[in-house]
Amino acid sequence: SGRSGDGGGALRPLYMDVQATTPLDPRVLDSMLPYLTAYYGNPHSRTHAYGWESEAAMEKARQQVADLIGADSREIIFTSGATESNNMAIKGVARFYKSRKKHIITTQTEHKCVLDSCRSLEAEGFRVTYLPVKKNGLIDLKELEAAFQPDTSLVSVMTVNNEIGVKQPIHDIGEICRARKVFFHTDAAQAIGKIPVDVNNMKIDLMSISGHKIYGPKGVGAIYVRRRPRVRLEPLQSGGGQERGLRSGTVPTPLAVGLGAACEVAQEEMEYDHKRISQLAERLVTKIMSEVPDVVMNGDREHRYPGCINLSFAYVEGESLLMALKDVALSSGSACTSASLEPSYVLRAIGTDEDLAHSSIRFGIGRFTTEEEVDYTVQKCIQHVKRLREMSPLWEMVQDGIDLKSIKWTQH
Amino acid sequence: LAVAVGDAVPSQVVDHYENPRNVGSLDRNAKNVGTGLVGAPACGDVMKLQVEVDENGRIVDARFKTFGCGSAIASSSLATEWVKGKTVDEALKIKNTDIAKELCLPPVKLHCSMLAEDAIKAALADYKLKQDPNKEESEKKA
Repeated sequence: SGRSGDGGGALRPLYMDVQATTPLDPRVLDSMLPYLTAYYGNPHSRTHAYGWESEAAMEKARQQVADLIGADSREIIFTSGATESNNMAIKGVARFYKSRKKHIITTQTEHKCVLDSCRSLEAEGFRVTYLPVKKNGLIDLKELEAAFQPDTSLVSVMTVNNEIGVKQPIHDIGEICRARKVFFHTDAAQAIGKIPVDVNNMKIDLMSISGHKIYGPKGVGAIYVRRRPRVRLEPLQSGGGQERGLRSGTVPTPLAVGLGAACEVAQEEMEYDHKRISQLAERLVTKIMSEVPDVVMNGDREHRYPGCINLSFAYVEGESLLMALKDVALSSGSACTSASLEPSYVLRAIGTDEDLAHSSIRFGIGRFTTEEEVDYTVQKCIQHVKRLREMSPLWEMVQDGIDLKSIKWTQH
Repeated sequence: LAVAVGDAVPSQVVDHYENPRNVGSLDRNAKNVGTGLVGAPACGDVMKLQVEVDENGRIVDARFKTFGCGSAIASSSLATEWVKGKTVDEALKIKNTDIAKELCLPPVKLHCSMLAEDAIKAALADYKLKQDPNKEESEKKA
């Protein structure tokens, strides 16, 4: 049990947390190795072969990223990851246009780096509208339309949510923004290479890309910045003017090569991966829900990326279930697993009752997840949910016909 | 099952889940059983702790059920182990700091041990109330 097939001989947990990070695809590692060993030149060195070959590799990678999203390679800027890209997009655009535009629209379920960038802009005097989401996790397009103000410079809505997997209506949002000539940014870290994303037919003006979510290396990402119509942004990082002056600093060729290769591999594998992952996800959800009562799936059933499944197991606390499932690597929306002891804000935003928020587990299914791993995870999950319910005073009260909402609980 | 990576959850804590002791329920309607129910589902921590006290005021049996993280389960489990064999007054002296020390709870989990101490006190208060119902009733627990 629990063997995940890699080297070392020691047993390691099964990896079912692909939203947190993904392993390097071996093809990506192969592409990177020459640039970690023999071809170590600085891609900005203009005067010798080390620089020229490094630059060529970087530009090839840039094209690979562009091809995945239907962009021009001149529109791809390498960054240290999606967090930096999100910071650049939000702060960069807001600050560039600040003399005439002071308002930004985003959602309550964005990644922390987006929300935090917005908060820091509020401290600079910008106004931000944080759109609520419906119970299914999707924004209401009418509320988006109503939120626009004459001085809105940017709308930022993530493509696929990292906690609950829901897919926002990017196509429609793009149309709405384009009609009002407001820039549309999307954090696509969990989306690209998994679902088709095209910056032109979705009318996207800025996009954040993460390497380590798509079987690429950690420490690299990219930002797509539209050229026509031109999006201007104030750079966050000053220096020698690399990356069209938008992001100074030596581009780390091996990492960029890895990101490019990851994008190319993802483009080739997308259809096959999606089909296989959908089947495995269906298998996991169906098996669990047929065996265990009182399980809630968080987020829209249909408008989602199948590989990210967030389930709440009523009357069982999330961290205790993770502890029980010790040979499977998973994560939870429970407060106990966050530094702040607050349960997941995404689950709160979709209106999940607090006790169910504490009972949530996120299952991630990826390119390398096997049916055997899914079956093992399902079996252990069913076994331990049942066991933890036997230990749960809440389950006991429900079995006795008590309505938990009628109880006056003590506060601590 | 050996896991090569360092275990983030201390083994003492996991042990209380894998080798449970005193999970279950006593008859809450029995006169010599005290039941304490503390915490709240919205906080992610609910403990039910029950004690059975003999005619000499000694705790002869204890049971618990917990909705909470591993540390909460371990804290309440340990509490039931420790109250057994003690008199009511001795059991009231059990401190959350002792529970936390025994389980090597990190600072972020200290509230679990505090809730376990509360659970002991709530169970014993319930027991005492049942012995002398003329005493002013404290806030009823479920």
